[in-house]
Amino acid sequence: MSVDAISFIPAVSTPSLAPTDESNSMLTTGGAFGSWFEQQLSEVNTKMAIADNGVQKLAAGDASNLHEVMMNLQEARMSMQLMMQVRNHLLDAYHEISQMQL
Amino acid sequence: MDYRNAFAISASGMSVEKLRLDVTAANLANIHSGKKVDGTMFQPMQVISGEAQAGFSTQFEQLSGAELHGAQVVGVTTTPTEPHMVYQPGNPDADDKGFVTETGVNQVTEMVNMASALRAYEANVVAMNAAKTMALKALELGGS
Amino acid sequence: MVQKTEAVTNAMLKMALDAASLNHQAIANNIANINTQGYAPVRVSFEEQMDSIRETLEEGGKVKSDMLSGIQPVLVRGQPLVGDGDRTTELDMETAKLAENTVHYEALLKVVGMRMSMVNSAIREGK
Repeated sequence: MSVDAISFIPAVSTPSLAPTDESNSMLTTGGAFGSWFEQQLSEVNTKMAIADNGVQKLAAGDASNLHEVMMNLQEARMSMQLMMQVRNHLLDAYHEISQMQL
Repeated sequence: MDYRNAFAISASGMSVEKLRLDVTAANLANIHSGKKVDGTMFQPMQVISGEAQAGFSTQFEQLSGAELHGAQVVGVTTTPTEPHMVYQPGNPDADDKGFVTETGVNQVTEMVNMASALRAYEANVVAMNAAKTMALKALELGGS
Repeated sequence: MVQKTEAVTNAMLKMALDAASLNHQAIANNIANINTQGYAPVRVSFEEQMDSIRETLEEGGKVKSDMLSGIQPVLVRGQPLVGDGDRTTELDMETAKLAENTVHYEALLKVVGMRMSMVNSAIREGK
């Protein structure tokens, strides 16, 4: 996910907590947001696989794309860090809401 | 891998080339020398270098590259060269025909040897700096 | 995520670093002996052992750990150089190989560091 992915979070961003028949985690049943998050997870996974592939080629002696290997690694690292931050904020929001006295 | 061995190899190369430079300088300094006190002429010297061998290298050493030991000086030889005759009748050392014998040191050869020894010395310095940079970079692992 | 390939990549990186380190010693030995008569240059055999793995990667395949068994960087002695002519060509070649090897070693180190920091940030949960 690129940095301006933040701007395309769909309008339905609040997880559907209110009428909960299910007690599943909001991440899998949160509607559009949940599926978006899953998609981002798999994108990060793909990026890491691409970076890993480039690293293996470099270790095997194919140094023709050194800059590409470095860029892919950086991209994978940044994607993962971004995803971690989103996950942390999600958890914090969940905790905050779950502690609200109703 | 033993980074110190890399330093030792380059250091041995540097000391061999340094001796070569010193010997060349001595030859050049004596280029116009006359007979020595005992009547013999100065003979140009040259350094014979060989690859440094360990007495015995183990299997492990062969795999890890520790069997490489750089270079060493095998000996400093003097090659008997034809003396150079110069016509100087006024010279007190001149023989009955007016010729003075000078050493057979060839200035051009010595200058070429000096240039090649200097280049080799600098290349060894570059190799040693590269080894140092690589080892220091390895130490930075886990930093950020 | 990429756990299965992680161990294979780590093993490949370690071997590549070993090979680059050994290669430096070989080049340094060649440079130290540049004026030795009858010297037999040394080199490291590793890249050619990885030929089949490189082909696999180029075709888009995956590297399995059993493909790495038996691959080991070793020193190889070449033929002794004959003649006592000018050795500047050899010196230039060795210096060029030195520069290439140094960059390769540092690139591998950098890659190892970045992978370690990714795992590190996952452990720290991004905090």
